Amino acid sequence: MEKLNVYAAKLVPKNENFTQGHRACQGCAEVLALRHIGKALGKNVIIASATGCMEVVSSPFPFTSWDVPWIHVAFENAAAVASGAESGLKALMRKGKISPRKIFVLALAGDGGTNDIGLQALSGALERGHDFLYICTDNEAYMNTGIQRSSATPWGASTTTSPAGKVIPGQATWKKNMAAIAAAHDIPYVATACPSYPFDLMEKVKRGARIPGPAYIHVLAVCPTGWRSPPDLSIRLGRLAVETGIFPLYEVVDGKYKITVDVPELRPVEDYFRLQGRFRHLTKDMIDQIQRRVRKEYDRLRKRVEMTMED
Amino acid sequence: MMSGKEIVRFKIDGMEVEAEKGRLLLPSILDFGFEIPHLCYHEAVSPGGTCGLCVVELTKDGRKRTAMSCKYTIDDGLEVVTDTEKIRRVRHRAWEVLLARASRSEVLRRMAREAGVEKTSLEMRDDECILCGLCERLCREIVGANALTITRKNGRREVVPDPESCIACGACVYVCPVDCIRMVETEEERTIVRWGRTLKMKKCTACGRSFAPWYQLEYIKERAKLPKDFLDICPDCRG
Repeated sequence: MEKLNVYAAKLVPKNENFTQGHRACQGCAEVLALRHIGKALGKNVIIASATGCMEVVSSPFPFTSWDVPWIHVAFENAAAVASGAESGLKALMRKGKISPRKIFVLALAGDGGTNDIGLQALSGALERGHDFLYICTDNEAYMNTGIQRSSATPWGASTTTSPAGKVIPGQATWKKNMAAIAAAHDIPYVATACPSYPFDLMEKVKRGARIPGPAYIHVLAVCPTGWRSPPDLSIRLGRLAVETGIFPLYEVVDGKYKITVDVPELRPVEDYFRLQGRFRHLTKDMIDQIQRRVRKEYDRLRKRVEMTMED
Repeated sequence: MMSGKEIVRFKIDGMEVEAEKGRLLLPSILDFGFEIPHLCYHEAVSPGGTCGLCVVELTKDGRKRTAMSCKYTIDDGLEVVTDTEKIRRVRHRAWEVLLARASRSEVLRRMAREAGVEKTSLEMRDDECILCGLCERLCREIVGANALTITRKNGRREVVPDPESCIACGACVYVCPVDCIRMVETEEERTIVRWGRTLKMKKCTACGRSFAPWYQLEYIKERAKLPKDFLDICPDCRG
């Protein structure tokens, strides 16, 4: 889908459900992802948004950028509120208070609200099997409070709470693989996406919303402020994350893995690191270590695809 | 609402709404959150009215009639009802017609099942295409390649490709409501399976990866009057 860009771009809905006037930083890819998500889901949607960058920038009192029903909830319970909304809709339809139709329920959270604080609510909602879509827009740290590390921060990245110094080279743990955790719940749909591949992202959002049962989409969102990268390179950085194999785009439908944007030959991870200030301190050895890990992870993903292909 | 444009007031299922004058009924209804099944409509191209699912009941000046909302322009004082016994009957029939036209389409069968229609009593046509003509309108109006025509062969309508002018842009793949147009792509070539069109891919002179069919890039250069070497480099390397 990703190479259809020339004419398919004219066929994307013109109506904006996430409108202009928000307060996101220049070059924010996360807010771009919200715009694509808004276009893909259309009008019939209820959104529960956890605290995070996207909540802060889209709803400075008394304004809002959302043209659809939207509720701001605490950091930890986006998934719980979404499951409540879904059950409420079901009850209202059963009692005949509203006409039966498909109303999508979307829970939206950042990496902090998903990987760290909201994980138990998310796990519970996935396990109970609510018919909703959970989208995590992952910018790899708590950006809106001042770039504190989260469990989604990659190894070696320098943040304000994991600064690169003489002894410790930035973040000391590897990025938590949230999509794999969601897939381990055996839910019907799990995917990873990136706003640098807008058609792929929109197709996945549509698909995840339509599939009955819970769906989880992990969206990598480039953050120029926190990643210390030039704001005009956000799209390219997203593409590089995919082409280097650091953030492979794949989907898991009923347990079957499929790589949606296949990269036959991975680029060296250095291409990706060079453009970001948060990786500036990395030495050759460290980059080699990351490169080995990226290759290993990518091979493991390929093996999963092969393993789940036959049955 | 927007200033400077004339506003008309009308009713959808008893709800008073306002919309711009001259707009089509279907998108206006959808904008207000009402659900109407539709397959052949796309906001970017002219309406076709071929799937017949978007019927609604209209009351104007005391006269009642059913019409396809995708081809109807809203006017003042209109009363629209989106769900009645009669509409349900018409839609049921429309689903049956579609099921007969595209008896091989899994996607369509799933959609029909969700709408409560399982089987059709009409004569089955062995195809996946519902003949909505969306791809043809799109190829003509948006792409401008005019590679598709709808013809009548032995009394049956059919979408016929012109393999010479297809640029394999894949817009029809993207828009097909029942996903019957598929695309296969390798590093060397891209094939639009349904139209039987295979084009060689162009490789980026900087990174060596293929990024779009040769012929498509030539077509774009010619239409947009771009310099000869303008599209030699892929979007990733252009920077």
